[in-house]
Order: sequence, then C-alpha cells, then structure tokens
Amino acid sequence: MALAMIVGACGGEYPNSTFNHTTEFNASIDTLFDKLMFWGTLVFIAVEVALVYVIVRFRRRPNAADPKPVHGNTTLEILWTAIPAVILIFIAIPTVRTIFATQAKAAPDALQIEVVGHQWWWEFRYPEYGITTANEIYLPKGRTVNFALTTVDVLHSFWVPQLGGKRDLITNKTNYLWFTPNADIQTDAFNGFCAEYCGSSHANMKFRVYTVEPDEFERWAQHQARPAVFPVQAAVPVVPSGAGVALVQDSASAMPMAGDTAAAATAPAVDGYWFPREQLPAHVIPTTRLPKGLTFDESLLAQGDAERGRELYSRSSCIGCHAIKGNPMSVSNVGPNLTHVATRHTIASGLYQNDAKHLALWIKNAPAMKPGSLMPTIGIGERDAVRKNTISAAMGGLTDAQIADIVAYLQALK
Amino acid sequence: MATLVAAPPYTSTATESANTGLWSWLTTVDHKRIGVLYLITALVFFVIGGLEAFLIRAQLAVPNGQVLSADMYNQLFTMHGTTMVFLAIMPLSAAFFNFLIPLQIGARDVAFPRLNAFSYWVYLLGGIFITVPIFFSVAPDGGWFGYAPLSTKQFSPQINMDFWVLGLQILGISSLAAAFNFITTIINMRAPGMHLMRMPIFTWMSFVVQFLVALAFPVITIALVFLQFDRFFGTNFYAIGAGADPLLWQHLFWVFGHPEVYILILPAFGLVSEVLPTFSRKPLFGYPVMVYSGILIGFLGFGVWAHHMFSVGMGPIADAVFSLTTMLIAIPTGVKIFNWLATMWDGQLRFTVAMKFGVALVGMFTIGGISGVMHSSPPADLQQTDTYFIVAHFHYVLFGGSMFGLFAGLYYYFPKITGRFMSESLGNWHFWLSLIGMNLTFFPMHFSGLLGMPRRTYQYDAGQGIEVFNMLSTIGTLVLMLGTLFGLINLWKSWKSGERASSNPWGAPTIEWTIPSPPPEHNFDELPKITSRYPLWDLKGTVIAKETTYAEEAGRVQLSAKQLGIPMPNPSIMPLITAAGVIFMFSGMLFTDSNMKLAVGIMIAGAVWWIAGLYNWLLTPLEDAH
Repeated sequence: MALAMIVGACGGEYPNSTFNHTTEFNASIDTLFDKLMFWGTLVFIAVEVALVYVIVRFRRRPNAADPKPVHGNTTLEILWTAIPAVILIFIAIPTVRTIFATQAKAAPDALQIEVVGHQWWWEFRYPEYGITTANEIYLPKGRTVNFALTTVDVLHSFWVPQLGGKRDLITNKTNYLWFTPNADIQTDAFNGFCAEYCGSSHANMKFRVYTVEPDEFERWAQHQARPAVFPVQAAVPVVPSGAGVALVQDSASAMPMAGDTAAAATAPAVDGYWFPREQLPAHVIPTTRLPKGLTFDESLLAQGDAERGRELYSRSSCIGCHAIKGNPMSVSNVGPNLTHVATRHTIASGLYQNDAKHLALWIKNAPAMKPGSLMPTIGIGERDAVRKNTISAAMGGLTDAQIADIVAYLQALK
Repeated sequence: MATLVAAPPYTSTATESANTGLWSWLTTVDHKRIGVLYLITALVFFVIGGLEAFLIRAQLAVPNGQVLSADMYNQLFTMHGTTMVFLAIMPLSAAFFNFLIPLQIGARDVAFPRLNAFSYWVYLLGGIFITVPIFFSVAPDGGWFGYAPLSTKQFSPQINMDFWVLGLQILGISSLAAAFNFITTIINMRAPGMHLMRMPIFTWMSFVVQFLVALAFPVITIALVFLQFDRFFGTNFYAIGAGADPLLWQHLFWVFGHPEVYILILPAFGLVSEVLPTFSRKPLFGYPVMVYSGILIGFLGFGVWAHHMFSVGMGPIADAVFSLTTMLIAIPTGVKIFNWLATMWDGQLRFTVAMKFGVALVGMFTIGGISGVMHSSPPADLQQTDTYFIVAHFHYVLFGGSMFGLFAGLYYYFPKITGRFMSESLGNWHFWLSLIGMNLTFFPMHFSGLLGMPRRTYQYDAGQGIEVFNMLSTIGTLVLMLGTLFGLINLWKSWKSGERASSNPWGAPTIEWTIPSPPPEHNFDELPKITSRYPLWDLKGTVIAKETTYAEEAGRVQLSAKQLGIPMPNPSIMPLITAAGVIFMFSGMLFTDSNMKLAVGIMIAGAVWWIAGLYNWLLTPLEDAH
C-alpha cells in the first residue's frame, strides 16, 4: 500500500495529486501524511502478518486435541493498549503543531483574495486591485495569498489539491485559508474544485489557478482592474492571446471606454498579461461533452459583429445578471463579471473551453450545457430545463445570428 | 456448568403443524419471526442499495459518463447512502437483535412483543415511503447527510427532500421503539444466573448499541423537526436569509451521525466475537476488555462528531480537541482487533464460510481503521475530506466491517434460524467474490481521492490521472454484485432445501444452541440456570466443545408451548394497523404545499387511525388469562 502510494505521489500524470510540494501548506500536510502512512503501514503489516500466520498455523487438524482455554492475559492486553497509545502520541504531537501552524493568521502583507461561492461558479475579488473576476485566479509565485471565503447561497468548499487542503464556504460566516506558492513552482496551471456537495452541478463547479511571476501578476492585475478594451474591429487582428506584449504607447490614456462610440474608430491596444493559451497544460483544458441535440450554425460565428453584439447585449436580459466594467448598462453582480471575459480560458466554471463555439452554445441554452444552471436559456425555440418553458422571441429570446453578435462582443472583451 | 452440558438436545419435529400463512406473518409478535422479517426486508433493501451503487459506478466508469443525468446521479448517491445506512445495515443488525437477544439471555420473548412488531412495520412502511420516489425520479437529492441550507426549501423547493425529512423521522420511531424494547429486555429478562458479565458478547454489543440509538436518534429527530418546520411552516432554524448559522445542522447531524457509525459496526463486532471463539474452540480472549472497549467506543463516539467538520473552520483549538478524542477511539478499537487475533492464536481454526467472513472482517476493518486514523489528523484531513479517500475509508468500515460481520452472523446462525445449513460451496463463491470485489472496488478509491477526485460528482474530466482507478472500481462493483448474487441464491436454496442442522451443529458455547433448530415458539421449555459464560463448553475437560448431529437428535420430540402450558403472547394485527396510521399521517405533510386542506385532512385521518389502532392494542391483553 505504501509503495503504491509513493508511486501515485510522483509524476506529472497525476495533475491534481495532493502530494506535490507546491506550497509550504501542502508540504506540511504531506510531512504529516508520511508520518501517518508510516505508522499506519506498520500497524497494517503487523496485524495482517499476524492474521495470516494465525490462519495458516492454527488451521484445525484432524484428531488434534482441543486447545487450552485461555481466557485472557492481562500483561498482553495492557501491552496492546499501551503500544497504540504511544503510536498515537507520535501522530498527535505533529498533528497539533501543524494545526496551529497552518491555522495561524496570515502574514499582514499577504495578497488578499475574496472568494464568493455561487451555485455553481466562483467569484474572485482582489480588493487591493479593485478586480472582480470569476472562475480563474492568478497568484504571484512566492507571495503569501490569503483567501477570505464566503458564499451567497449553499455551502461550498474551496480546494486546489496541488496547492493545499480545502476550506468550506459557510453561509453567514467568513473562513480563511492561506498558503504561499513556492517561488520555484514547476507547474503553473492548476485545477480547483468545489468539494462540498452543493446541488445539481456540484461536479461542474471548478476553477483554475495560474501561478505566475510577480511582474506578470502585476501586469495581469493592472490590466484586469481597467475597464474592458472595446471595441475591437473584427478585422483587426487581436494581439495573440496571452502574449502579454505591451504595445509601445501610453495605453492608459489611449484606452477607450467600452460603449464609448466616439472612440469606436480607434483600434485599441491591449496591454496586459494573461496565461498564454498555447502554453496551457492538457489537464486544465476541459473535456466535457456537449449535450445531445444542442446545435449552433457555426458559419454564423464568422459573421458576428462585436458592435452589434454590444448593442444587443446592452438591451437584452444579459444585463440582468452580468457586469462589464465600462459598459454603463451592465452593472449587475448576480452572475460572473464579464469585464475581461475574453482573457479567461474556460467558461461555465471550468466546464468548457472559452471559444466562440462553446460561448454560442452556452448563451443559447446554458441549462442544457450545465444541469441546473441559473443562467436562463436564451436561444429561440430552445427548451429551458430549469424553468421548464420554451423560449420565444416575445420572451426576449435571441436567434443564432444575434447570439453570434454577442459572442463577438464577449470575445472582444480582452 | 455441568447441568447444561448434559441438557438434552432436541430436534424440532412437526407434532403440531406450525401456522405459516400470510396472516400469521402479518400478526406475529414472535421475536424470531420478526427477526426473519427484518432479515428478508433488509436484504431486499440491500439489493436495491446495491443496484443504486452499480448505476453510480456505471456512470463513473469513464470520464464524462453518459449513463445518468446529473439530477438522477444526485438522487442515486443520496438514496444509496440513505438505503444502506437506514434500510439495510441497521435492520440487518436488528434482525440479529430480534432473533438472538432473547435466545442468548434465556428469555421467551422480548419485553414488549407487540411494540417489537410495531417497530418492524414502521421500518417496512417507512422504507417503502422513502424508496418509492426513486422510481419516479423524485427521490431525495441532498445527500444522506442533508446539509442545510441546501436541504431547505429555498434551495430544494421540490418534493424530493420532503420524502427524506419525513422518511427519516418515521424510521427514527422504529429505531427508538426497538432500542427501548431491547434495553428493557436485556435488563429485566435475563435467565437466572446470567450476570451482566456472563452475557454473550453479541448481546453486550447490542446492549451498547441500544443506548447509542436511544441517545443519538433524538438529536437527529430534533434536527429533522427543525428542517421540517423550516420547509413547511417558514421557521428560520436554517434560513440563511434570516441569519441562520448552517453549522447548526452539521453539529446536530454529526452528534447523531458519528454514534450512528458505531450503531452500524458494533453489532457486527458482536457477531464476529461469537463466530471466532466457536470456530477456534477457544473462549473469547479478554472478554471483560472486549465488553469495556465496546462501552468505551460507544461513550467516546459521542465526543468526536466534529471530526466530520475539520474543513468548516472551527478554529485550531476545536480542531485539536476533536482530533485527539478521535485518535483515542483507535485504542479500544485496536484492542478488539488484537483480542480477536489472540482468540484465534493457538486455537483449532475451522474455516467455515462464517469463519471466513469473520476473519475477513478482522483484516478488512483494520484497513478502514487505519485510514480512519489518517483523517483524525485535521491538516491531513483537509486533503482527504470530501474526496474518494473518505469513500474508500468508510466502505472498508461498512462493507469490510459491518457487512462481513453480518454475513458471518448469517452463515453462523442460519442453522439456528431455519434448521438448515447454508451451502458451503455457494458460500465460498459468495465469500471470495465479495472479498475480491470489495477490495477491487474500494481500494483504488484511496488513490482517486488522494489524486484529487472530489466526492459526489457525476462527471469528471479526462486526463486527470484517475481514469484507471475509476475503471477498476467499476469492475470491482460487478464482481461484488456477482458475489452477492451467489449469497442470495445460497440463501434461497438453503432455506428451501439445505442440509438439516442439529441444535448445536458448530459446537458453540452459548445457550441459544441448547434448544432445537429452529427453536420452538416459546424458546426454552424451562428457563435455563446460568452458571458460567460458556455453559455448553467443558473448559476443564479434554474435549471442550461437541458438535451435535441431526441424526443423533432424530426422533426427539419437542412439545409445543400449549402442551407445556406456557402462556405465549397472542398474535395481533394492531401493531401493523397502528404503524400504517403513523405513515399515513406523515404522508399528509407531503401535500402542505399543493393543497393544505387535503394535507390537514390526511394528517387528522392518520392520527385518528393510529390512535384508534393503539387504543384497540392497549385494550387487548397480551396473553390469554391463565
């Protein structure tokens, strides 16, 4: 068992392994686990060897005399009460030490991140930077991060197995969890999960964590704090995602406001950083299957117009839940903040890749893409499995062409 | 000792045709027949729970499984847990409480025979009440632990969780009535000379369990009543909008939930403590320590509930305290393991199927116990809780422990229950496939958990390094199902046409083996006088135990209670009628949302119904005047 555990502990084949020493938190848990494993294996071997010996050695033999009726042996019984007690002391002392070490208050200069659980997605806020984002976290390597965990509905649990233990999100209570990603951390992209059962799409409440160099983090944070860059003419090639190349210009003053039609003619520059999509390791790329029967005319996607999409978005039901910093019509905070949605690599809480096709299908019928989803179905003629109705134009439903426009708009929100 | 060793063995012969019609089963108050009813019913629910598990594993066999919808998966895992805990393992234990406790303490029945029947009927009808919705896709879907606020109306507005809230309260009535019944029975009805420290160890463990039930079930009842009031009448115990602290539910649930674990495991420990000595031909090693450790496990079991909550943020002091109390439980549990080993040490081990299951419990429970110590350490638990590592842990405890112990008890006591042996050859298939199947199913879960697979997820991504473990678990489930099928076939065939068994076919030491197999209605012609812990064994002689054979007992006549002039309780339909009224009353609650008048009408009718049943019950004397 121990050997198998060790085999399971190393190697990149296990991208969510709890054994990788990526933070001091995880390292201290693993040190403790090794002690538990050592004593556990010792007891396991002792008991099972004794058991096998007994089975083989004392098998009833024909015509053997009946055994001596031993009723007990006080010395022996005291001994095997005392030995486990002593072993437990060896476990208890490091346990208590680790409890107090890992649950101490985080260092005051730690990066603060507020985690808000929703059915079934994650809201992340960086109060230091004025950022509100969803389902993807960026962490600077080597700096302690302190998560303040709350939930607006049911209980959830915040868990990134590679970075440390989990902590529940409890309604009407704030929990804390902190750790420091190692400065020389090997992998850079991690899967996070909801670990407390929270209803229909509990399995689909995932998130991603990117550990980046401190300067990359600063650039990411500065960029995320700003309103979205908009509009981008469809014809103008967008800076390759994640290239993070700062165009040589004073981007802050040149940055047009989303919805600012006066600036519509200028092609804005995107100055910032996000994790390069082409460098994403396979384990953070979702493989979720598309629901049967949900289709989208993909030829329409190429014709999607971001400006038409912005205009449509700003007067449709989207703004009932979503906020886009810079779009004065879109200020609701019920659903995920979409200000820089195009810089994220997944949608629907880590369920699908963030590309035109998945976005279109998602907008068309979110509950079909993600069971129980509180985002309503929007495609005309589609059945909403949560609200149990079929969407019509009169209800504010959208055609595939209109959805393609909105997709173009969302993809422009770098 | 000598008197009982010399006591004449009997074989039941059909001097009077036993009354075995349907009506006799509906009205029976005989603890042995009620035990059989519990056994059959619990096995049916065990099969249902197993099929639910199979569907879960079918869905998880490959990444992004397409067998089940998310909602159906959530209903199935909720019902698998609820079914196995409340409808399979607890009632299987209850089957042995019913059948064995009066026989082991030398009594003619339990203290309250009709209350005993009532317990069974409430269990059966409550079990149906909570199980039927799965066939209509409206089964409870909030987990067997029903965490608030997910289980409140705000987040579970459909009828699904209503079945759960009401169903568990109904089942609680059954368990509590049975607990008080057995406590009274064990305290008051022991045969002359049976001091507490001469009681068979199974009865001892059962005695501890009844106190756990009596103390733990009221706590979950309170939690459920709060939830019911929240759901139906708009109170605010768990209403987060009104500022409720949802941890209230978790504390109440686990104050019940942890003792519940010992309610599930101690009866199996008791059965194995009967099986191992008999087939080793040695007395149980350290009987007093085994008794004290059982009591201690039960006592400590009430002080460790928050180890289910290490991730909720209780703070370092509470975490440390509950961690240490949890570790303490490993000591009395370890003592049991070592004492079982010492019981077998230097013995003459005979490996019947019963013995194999008993020995397997020692081996498999040890694995569950060790992984239990691993998550008694809160920092380590933060990586383990709510992952498949925990699923692996408690299935080693509940399948490798409870179920193996109960199977051991079934093979061991089947001759006493039916007068026939279970087939050893079919039993071997049952045992080996179960042993292989359970390890194949649950051992890989240690890995999938530590490699980052959360529990209660209906799908998982490909390429996460957990595919092979999930596939192994699913294959294991098939092996396990095949093994269980052999067990069920064995049960069916042996009941009908198994080899005939004598009164003491295993050479066992305790007094239930002095009476015919199956026992007569009145159990004992004369109440036995107990002078030792092992009345049937001659511990000073060269031959300790002696198996009796069917042939040597042939022709002996067992007189009936009537012929012997022993007054026995009369059968009564009133427990069933009263139980049905209780269920009917509860089911009225289901309509409070849709039609309040109908709901109130059903509840009043149900109340009148069961009160009338109870009134009639109380006015009918238990026995004929004598």
